[in-house]
Amino acid sequence: MRVPFEWLCELTGIEASVDDVATRLTNAGFEVGAIHRAGEHWDRIVVGEVVRIDPHPNADRLNLPTVNTGSEEIQVVCGAWNFEAGDRIAFAPAGARLWDPYADEPVLKELKPTRIRGVVSRGMLCSTKELGISDDHEGILVLDSDAPLGQPLAEALGGEVLEFELKANRPDALSVLGIAREAAALYGTQVSSPIPDHRAGEHGPSQPVQLQIDDPALCARYSAALVHEVKVGESPAWIRDRLEQAGVRPISTIVDATNYVMLELGQPLHAFDWDTVRGGFIGVRTPRPGERLVTLDGQDRELTPETLCIVDAEGPVALAGVMGGLDTEVTDTTSSVLLESATFDPVSIRRTAHRLNLRSEASRRFEKGLPPELTVLALRRCVQLIEEIGAGRGEFLTADAYPEPSDPAAVSLAFDRIERLMGVAYDRGEVRQALNSLEFGLDEDGDELCVTPPFWRRDVTAPADVVEEVARLVGYERIPDTLPTGQVMDLAPGEIDERDDEARDVMAGLGFAECVTYALTSEARMARLVPPDLLDASPDTPLGDADAWAAVHESAMDDAGRALADRLLPLDREPLRLRNPLSMEENVLRLTGLGTMLETLRANRRHADRDLLLFDYQPSFLARDGDLPEEPNFLTAVIGERVSAGRWNETGTVELPFVRGVVDELLSRSGVPADETSHDDLQHPTFAAGAAAAVTHRGNLLAAYGEVDAEVAAAFDLDERSWALLVDMPAVREASAGPPSFSAWSEYPSALRDLAIVVDAEVTQADVYDAILRAGRPLLQSARLFDEYRGEQIPAGKRSLAYALSYAAPDRTLTDKQADRAHNRVVRALQHRLGAELRG
Amino acid sequence: MQERLDALLTSARAELAAAADDAALEQWRVTHLGRRSELTGLLRSVGSLPREERREAGQAANAARRELEEALETRQTELRRGADGAQVDVTMPGYPVRLGSLHPLTRTLREIRRVLAPLGFRAVSGPEVEWDRYNFELLNIPADHPARDMWDTFHIDDKARPGELLLRTHTSPVQARVMEQIQPPVRVIVPGKVYRYEDRDASHEAEFMQVEGLAIDKHITMADLRGTLTYFVRAMFGPDRELRIRSSYFPFTEPSAEAEMSCHACNGDGCPVCGGTGWIEILGSGMVHPKVLADVGYDPDVYQGFAFGMGVERIAMLKYGVTDIRSFYRNDLRFLRQLR
Ligand SMILES: [Zn+2]
Repeated sequence: MRVPFEWLCELTGIEASVDDVATRLTNAGFEVGAIHRAGEHWDRIVVGEVVRIDPHPNADRLNLPTVNTGSEEIQVVCGAWNFEAGDRIAFAPAGARLWDPYADEPVLKELKPTRIRGVVSRGMLCSTKELGISDDHEGILVLDSDAPLGQPLAEALGGEVLEFELKANRPDALSVLGIAREAAALYGTQVSSPIPDHRAGEHGPSQPVQLQIDDPALCARYSAALVHEVKVGESPAWIRDRLEQAGVRPISTIVDATNYVMLELGQPLHAFDWDTVRGGFIGVRTPRPGERLVTLDGQDRELTPETLCIVDAEGPVALAGVMGGLDTEVTDTTSSVLLESATFDPVSIRRTAHRLNLRSEASRRFEKGLPPELTVLALRRCVQLIEEIGAGRGEFLTADAYPEPSDPAAVSLAFDRIERLMGVAYDRGEVRQALNSLEFGLDEDGDELCVTPPFWRRDVTAPADVVEEVARLVGYERIPDTLPTGQVMDLAPGEIDERDDEARDVMAGLGFAECVTYALTSEARMARLVPPDLLDASPDTPLGDADAWAAVHESAMDDAGRALADRLLPLDREPLRLRNPLSMEENVLRLTGLGTMLETLRANRRHADRDLLLFDYQPSFLARDGDLPEEPNFLTAVIGERVSAGRWNETGTVELPFVRGVVDELLSRSGVPADETSHDDLQHPTFAAGAAAAVTHRGNLLAAYGEVDAEVAAAFDLDERSWALLVDMPAVREASAGPPSFSAWSEYPSALRDLAIVVDAEVTQADVYDAILRAGRPLLQSARLFDEYRGEQIPAGKRSLAYALSYAAPDRTLTDKQADRAHNRVVRALQHRLGAELRG
Repeated sequence: MQERLDALLTSARAELAAAADDAALEQWRVTHLGRRSELTGLLRSVGSLPREERREAGQAANAARRELEEALETRQTELRRGADGAQVDVTMPGYPVRLGSLHPLTRTLREIRRVLAPLGFRAVSGPEVEWDRYNFELLNIPADHPARDMWDTFHIDDKARPGELLLRTHTSPVQARVMEQIQPPVRVIVPGKVYRYEDRDASHEAEFMQVEGLAIDKHITMADLRGTLTYFVRAMFGPDRELRIRSSYFPFTEPSAEAEMSCHACNGDGCPVCGGTGWIEILGSGMVHPKVLADVGYDPDVYQGFAFGMGVERIAMLKYGVTDIRSFYRNDLRFLRQLR
């Protein structure tokens, strides 16, 4: 809301600077977002008088006014015609700065002497747009005839305008008077009310106006005043100036007067052309079936049952509080006017204004809840204003319907409640002074204080509200710094798991950069995680349909793949969809973060050729019927093809065991015992065939990892092999055995033996490893794989695995013989159980 | 004795300087420090000296031995450095180390938690997809209240319960969730992602992080709020920070306050970071509204307390000098590595 500073000063008698007033109001809760200073740039622009107007010798559409600036006469070339010799105008000589009316952005340009069609122009007559007053570029600004010649325009016209960023709780502050009350309370001045005293019987009701409110819940009060001998025309300059400064476009006397009063007092008014209202009747009600209204904007509207309407004897004439009807609009020929001043239900107005997308200065005020007491005051002020500017002759109040009068309720509180809430003492004198200055009624009974808010402060209903009034009037500077004391709270529900921090630390320690990605995504982005031909997707169903997925489950997945698709990568689930997305690029909540992470991998690939290790640890959103969705924190990691290894420029290529190293470390640090997990083949269309694995714990999927399918990688524009790791961290927590426990090792020297065997290629490392551990008991302490070989040196269809084994006894040093005996048992077991052959 | 030692040291030093390779050094060691060396002989002979001379002579001989040992080590190091005829270039860069990084928002969140933990605040989380009831109604923002305009909301398209599911617009719903479940004293902070239906630009995000703080007990006051916030900004931005609060409005607090801190970049003199004002808006806060307390079943005549909320990106931007809020979500490794 824009408040011209001189208007505020006129009502309050404040003489402080605009900056001081802005600061104090801001601190008291009325935030001044900006101070507009009209005329800041008008350094050389003055009030000039047009002495004469000569025709341009070479152009019919231009003229040559000569302007008296008070000190000299200057001839300029002008393209506007809306002025005459003798008019006072805003004159900018060469060198002045003006807003460029043709630029898209506000740009100040210095005016230079120019030759236009052969005649030199040494200045300019300004339009309001060039001056930065309004957007109106039609014609030049003609000033009042008594504007002093040669006076800087800033003095003649300018002034500061305070722009307030107002909060939802103070409808009274949507008015100059409301702001003035606050300012006066802060500066200790008196508000001079612009509302005239009641004028009884002066004109008397000339005509009966019958009012009817159907439902007082929707319209608490409806007051009306008739104005006769109406003269619709241009308002005087002072009204137009204030309206323009407040950001309201002047239209004509009657409309300007209603807008002026709305700005001043906060009560929106509406003017009906009384001669077009049928039956001398005004009613407030919801529409009957089939009722329609052509509104001021020319739209013929069918009225929904909840739209509150103003009706005459025959039907709707306005949308209450939102927009008037075309038929009853005040026009140049209007001779009498009915002014409406009403209190409508805030919720009803808000809904209608939102539904029809017709939010206005008026609806904004109704939405916040106006006091019924204001209606008659606003009418009085408006009628007086109309008479003052000679636009008509009226009655202060012709008719008034207020079926269920109510007063603001008093609030009682103990004086010490203020200290109890604020943590600092206020003496009673201060409290009285603060509340009195805001026109609250006070009644004291010992330590009890009974506060009656003025009618415009219906937001004050509870002790805490009263405390706030005192605290902000005295100033928050009063409040000291103390720290809360008292008991420690119980463990809170939903407490953040420290293990989340640890998982992030582990990943960072393993070389991964943590990313924080958007939860909003598109189905298309997630659909790229499956080779396109597989789903037979269309733009409408980018993630395919149930039939397509059934086929994918059948043909392109094994059991592990289906387990993955069930939860960690649930691309066939219906995602949560936004009703009002910002764009179709982010219209659903993600089912998986993998699509976004592959995009992030791609974006970083543009400037890095190695060490692309990224992870994201944010929730996915899995819908649940009739409940909030599940929001499991899944860990998603992606890895580029090459990683640094060794000297400066040496790199290694990422292979499956590289990713497994990451998984094993993460699971182990999360407390999942390695011997309770199993890594098995994974077939899923997102991953390359034969290069992916699933990690399970007692049959539950914990993680999946592998090389990203080449087609999928291509869909993300990735130009190298890429790897992905998905971890169901909540499942990992379930599988955790808790903190690690200590187990002692042998203090005696170990006997080391290497073992290289050749087995069929189908025999897995896990089979060999398990067999070694089982056969090596109890002396075998550890077995570490150190090589795998397939190739020419061994028969086709075979692989060689090599392990370093370590034997020790807890209570003695093993002899060579004892170690050999244990080792031979291992060798025999491998030969016997797995058909292994020792490699020479 | 001392004379013999001095002579011995002089000649040993000269010979050591002349020794040019490992073999020569070994020869020198055998000659001067070996079992048959003169020095060893001298040490052995100490025992045969008169009792009153033994102590002094023993110390001198041992000192000489230490000196020769150190000289040998120094000479060895000198020779080794000169091997291959070239010195090691210590200005060579180190081999690449693959250490990852935590996201700057994670680091900022952890710092906030660390700062507030000693005041007894426990960190809790809540759902990002919320019921209208928790996001608005239990925070004294009924349906069709104009205060709803303060939060542009993403709604979930839910046929079963239209209009009830939304993306939380602030972390405040977790206030109500915590209070519904436990009795005071309550002291929690709530970090988490929130959503606004808002076009993105350098200072606005549709998804961003907030931290909410809530303290409820019988005697928690606005002065405690101010003290907590002062403590917080000083711990985060340095001991010289000043805090100021001014009246504001939030539906779920009464009284409400906007908090600003003196600019950490210019110490309050005015600079581009603070828009020339010397002050930086840092968070919104207030005393929890009695209606909010009553709605979760607390007696507002017995219990009271404060709440505050801040944008994590904003804190991180101030701390790290980031100027575009969207950088946090682009996850460019150059950005992530700078701010790790
Ligand atoms: Zn600054």
